[in-house]
Amino acid sequence: MKRLKRKKQNAGVGVNGNGPVTREPDCGRKQKLAEIHQALISDPVDIETLRRAAASRGGLLTDELRRKVWPKLLNINVYDLPHKPGRDVRENHKDYNQVLLDVRRSMKRFPKGMPATERAVLQEQLIDIILEVLKRNPQLHYYQGYHDVAVTLLLVVGERMAIALLDTLSNYHLRDFMDPTMDSTKHILNYLMPILEQVDTELHDFMMRSEVGTIFALSWLITWYGHVLSEFKHTLRLYDFFLASHPLMPIYLAATIVLHREKEVKQTECDMAMVHHLLSRIPQDLPYELLIAQSQDLFNQYPPSLLAKRAALQSRKSLSISTFQAFQLSTLHQRPDSVLQRLTKAQGSTTSRHASRHSGLEAALPRDRGQLWGKGNRIVKMAVWGLSATLGAAVFAVAQTAMDWGPEVLLQLF
Amino acid sequence: MAESGSSVEFSGSLTSSTLPPPRTRIFKIIVIGDSGVGKTCLTYRFCAGKFPEKTEATIGVDFRERLVEIDGEKIKIQLWDTAGQERFRKSMVQHYYRNVHAVVFVYDVTNAASFRSLPAWIEECKQHALGTEVPRILVGNKCDLQDSIQVGTDVAQQFADAHSMPVFETSAKNPSSHGDGSYGSGNSDHVEAIFMTVAHKLKSQKPLVLSQPSGGSGGTISLSSGMNDGGDGARSWGCSSC
Repeated sequence: MKRLKRKKQNAGVGVNGNGPVTREPDCGRKQKLAEIHQALISDPVDIETLRRAAASRGGLLTDELRRKVWPKLLNINVYDLPHKPGRDVRENHKDYNQVLLDVRRSMKRFPKGMPATERAVLQEQLIDIILEVLKRNPQLHYYQGYHDVAVTLLLVVGERMAIALLDTLSNYHLRDFMDPTMDSTKHILNYLMPILEQVDTELHDFMMRSEVGTIFALSWLITWYGHVLSEFKHTLRLYDFFLASHPLMPIYLAATIVLHREKEVKQTECDMAMVHHLLSRIPQDLPYELLIAQSQDLFNQYPPSLLAKRAALQSRKSLSISTFQAFQLSTLHQRPDSVLQRLTKAQGSTTSRHASRHSGLEAALPRDRGQLWGKGNRIVKMAVWGLSATLGAAVFAVAQTAMDWGPEVLLQLF
Repeated sequence: MAESGSSVEFSGSLTSSTLPPPRTRIFKIIVIGDSGVGKTCLTYRFCAGKFPEKTEATIGVDFRERLVEIDGEKIKIQLWDTAGQERFRKSMVQHYYRNVHAVVFVYDVTNAASFRSLPAWIEECKQHALGTEVPRILVGNKCDLQDSIQVGTDVAQQFADAHSMPVFETSAKNPSSHGDGSYGSGNSDHVEAIFMTVAHKLKSQKPLVLSQPSGGSGGTISLSSGMNDGGDGARSWGCSSC
């Protein structure tokens, strides 16, 4: 515990002591914005800076930036996005019923003020994007909680970009969870106790005695906390962090959260039910920035390879871990969007009709979604939500312009 | 699961358990069945006394408890609400079958497939060494949806008889107390009755498990209960329908 406490103090001031992590006091926001923009227009894209920005204090700051940076973190060309799924995506899919069931009852994932009609449109999109990704990847299997990941992406980047992001995530970071069985997921959960053991033996022993197991952290891991956090901004902050990190990082965060609640845990009756109950209810007011910094420290101090050795975790093949390095390498040679746009167009483009129409609007920056709801008429908004998001951002640009154009124009875009 | 609801359920039992619980017995009941049959609603209803506004997919296992009094004895009923999707039960839920005192199988009366899955769930229990000596009950949920019933009472009764367990048809959400789901009005007591039936059954059984506040030195209490039903005379412990 000693080490961690030291870190706590550090992290309170700013995230340093961790090599190249940017110091980010409140007044550093402007500077961070500038750095991110600079990194985005560098050729090749400065992916290291983007990763650092996503993990450091405040994360990617705005949804507008997320729409630009998330694709880079996952090596996605936003000018060559998948098409909007057709009706046939729902036909004959073995997971269709389960997806339908889970999405239709996932009302809580949508912003509180959102009108039911808009939510319904998004829910249908959510079903489509999940099935689309599953259809493209027959080796992947749907799990309850996958929809929590998908909805987070959808709400930020729109339908088409969400498909691209989800596809890549599913093949890398989430890959282990999507096996036919959950044995690999269990294996990942098995990293939790060894991390605790390294930092706080007493706590570790207490938890072992209680036989609590690790299932309390299952939904944290496989939904990247999307299932358990009620504030969407916190979920987004964590997604910034995880998209820029090693696939095991959610487990390090889980360990950090348990360590953070050490006193509470030790005061609980040493009983499976009691400890499970305490831990599975995640406090909603966690100091996320602090915990994120601590997770990174833990990761650096006790990397997965070291844990695997010390804890004699059986050397099960984790696809997420084994493909991570190659994945990271693949992100190093991305061109900035301005170049990608030119290149993709020049290629005669496999891009859709939508894409080329939208791309002209790219210059106009999107407004925040909240503002969008505040005004304008329902039909336009519905049309916009139904639209596929070529650039995520662009949809919102369209929405603004559409107020002048009228809905007919929008409908032509479908 | 829903953080909002759970604190309510739990605080209720916490306040009541602040009185010195030297020997509060714990009955651990696992609730299983297909995805979407309403396991979360049922357990929430019993522990919080109302129908939850929104329930989402249960990922892994959720835990709820409630302190009840039976024949003057305080008993803690722990309900383990499990994920319905098959992949979870295979490698995740196992851990929670240990030391279970009773099993509640749930199906959805408006979904024949959920009824057809029951043999698989029963088999699942057997594999975890939960045989017929462990009290088991069958609950057909959502019987308020009269127009879309796919599983008739007679079929369910036959099935339950064949497996020596009682069957109940109920609705965690009952049409009479719509809206805000006010406390214990109308036939909302039905869900209550189901779990209390299990609790009574457990109380009347011999081997007792004690909660171990500190030492856990335990010992078994012999119960002088008025009830006396021999072994697995499950068929005799009643059936009701709504």
